[in-house]
Amino acid sequence: MAAEYTIAAIAAPVAVVALELAVLRTGLFRLGRYWAAVAIVLAFQIPVDGWLTRPEAPIVSYSARATSGVRAPWNIPVEDFGFGFALVTLTLLLWRWHQREQRQDA
Amino acid sequence: MMNSLRYLLILVACVGATLPLEFALRARVYRRPRLLLATVLPVAAVFATWDLVATARGHWWFAEHYVIGVRLLGLPVEEWLFFVVVPLCALLTFEALGRYPGSAVPRHTRRAAEGAGRGR
Repeated sequence: MAAEYTIAAIAAPVAVVALELAVLRTGLFRLGRYWAAVAIVLAFQIPVDGWLTRPEAPIVSYSARATSGVRAPWNIPVEDFGFGFALVTLTLLLWRWHQREQRQDA
Repeated sequence: MMNSLRYLLILVACVGATLPLEFALRARVYRRPRLLLATVLPVAAVFATWDLVATARGHWWFAEHYVIGVRLLGLPVEEWLFFVVVPLCALLTFEALGRYPGSAVPRHTRRAAEGAGRGR
């Protein structure tokens, strides 16, 4: 049986990207500073998530059945980066979408 | 005692580390509370739902001794705060990049250009 968190961690970024391309169309992906922000936030995810998943004292533990077993860097399940990308991208998408709505109302 | 604060202190560190972006780089995220709420609430709802389903299905779980012990719908309060703190950090980073004095295009020009380039 396929690992459920692995599937979700791939499906969520795909769903968020599709939401932008098909529905919201904020133009976020054409902004250099979006890609810079994603790179910075995912870079900071490494120490934060690394601390959360520290093997000798994990705050969060993961089921071997639900994950691929790929851990990098350190003990971070690789799936967490899909989760992080989707979380950050959905946030920035809604922020820009609301900003555009406000401007049109004004 | 300190152990139970571990997850909370990580979140405090994230908020503390990004707070200067609001002021030093004039990110103007905290200063737009309605826009911030309208953005963060639906994001937190979606990802907390994911979290509730994932913990119910045993995808991941939290160590009792590294959280303060307050739970909402079974999730540690720290995990709920995570879905507010991480979006905040992302917004501050994104907005700080747009405000940086060294950015090539003045903000009003860029805003107009973005508006013009946006397909419907």
